[in-house]
Amino acid sequence: MTIQSESALPAALRDRWPHAPRYANVNGWRMHYVDEGKGDPVVLLHGNPTWGFLYRDMIAPLVSSGRRVIVPDMIGFGLSEKPTREQAHCLDGHTANLTALMRQLDLKRITLVCHDWGGPIGLSFAMSNPARVHALTIMSTWAWPMPPAEFHTRIFPWRMMHAPLIGPYLLGNHRALAGRGVYLSVIGRERFARTAQAAYEAVLPDPATRLLTWVWPRWIPLDENARAFERFKWLEQELSSSELPTLIIWGREDEIFDAATFASRFKQLLPHAEGPHLVTGRHFLQEDSAPEIARLIGSFLDRLDVNGGKQ
Amino acid sequence: MTEVSLVKMPSLEGKRLSFALAEDRVAHYPEFRDFFVRTFDLDRKGLAEPGFVRAPSGIIYAFIFIGRSGIPFPSGLEIYAVVDALEPIDVDVLDRDLWSILRWMIGGVGAPWTVEDFDRTGRLYRVPAAPSG
Repeated sequence: MTIQSESALPAALRDRWPHAPRYANVNGWRMHYVDEGKGDPVVLLHGNPTWGFLYRDMIAPLVSSGRRVIVPDMIGFGLSEKPTREQAHCLDGHTANLTALMRQLDLKRITLVCHDWGGPIGLSFAMSNPARVHALTIMSTWAWPMPPAEFHTRIFPWRMMHAPLIGPYLLGNHRALAGRGVYLSVIGRERFARTAQAAYEAVLPDPATRLLTWVWPRWIPLDENARAFERFKWLEQELSSSELPTLIIWGREDEIFDAATFASRFKQLLPHAEGPHLVTGRHFLQEDSAPEIARLIGSFLDRLDVNGGKQ
Repeated sequence: MTEVSLVKMPSLEGKRLSFALAEDRVAHYPEFRDFFVRTFDLDRKGLAEPGFVRAPSGIIYAFIFIGRSGIPFPSGLEIYAVVDALEPIDVDVLDRDLWSILRWMIGGVGAPWTVEDFDRTGRLYRVPAAPSG
């Protein structure tokens, strides 16, 4: 296993990530997280291949609005421990990692903000620990068993990118997802390349540290024999009867989890949800619209507070 | 030489196996495992010996197959360059060879997997060894 520390960040980026590093032992792994502010907790969950840095421009405004903001790095990403065996990763294991952190911090009245793989993980935690959860925010993710999108069934580029041996070569040796992959999925590409891309690349410096970038794509169910098929089936079923207050935010230009398909399906699953609010952004919408997303979440939670937690 | 070809086990005297690439889950798409079983006669040979190919650079690569309880063989695969024992490798040559080996693999796996899609994917992610379109 490998662990990066905050010193792994280029000096020019450390100012943009001023948070004290905290670590928890979850299921035997060393998990890095940020814990800022006081108030009801808002937990910001990233996916593949990002880390807490994705939320850098949302932490301060949420803290200013009177919330405690917790941003864990998934085991395998960011400043958390990075197992070097594929078998160390599974969807249920990552949900158990999040559950361990939430219980160690004894968090209650949690608002979970879920993006990409932070969706299946965070929502599975919410459905199995409803007494700890106050509200949900859902962004560019999915929670059902069949292929998320036509994109994920295509050989070019999706299945080719993580195919046997090609995944380790392309995403490992050539850093395809952590580098160019994120770049291609933001709107302000020049700004992203200048101000953020190095932070995603710096924490995945070697092929072995990038393992999860090709392991996660292989966990997306493409048929009913897939490893996570039953978990997603359960998750969809649980969500369909959930009454947790929910906010849906989506990138208007998201081509991978397009709003017309995905935000709409979440709205069908959770008809009481607010939204979808469309903001400027592709899949990594936080890179283009972080202040607006933070405002939407803050104002949603303010309204819940006024209404005694009811939506 | 531009092709990848199967070769017999070379003499390993004065050589070392230099790690190049590993795959823990060769049957993620089962047709890839089938390709290796077919190409290296693994149903008959099992773990008895590695497979060997010669890459465009002339370097020979060893394919070492991995077994895992409860999973059809092979479950995984490691690729090593057979190089002079005490000499460093040229990483650019290694990368171009790996590209060629993966391209050869895709061609052998066959439809719906195509070398054209492999090349396009390499170009999209700006892999230096990918042919320009």
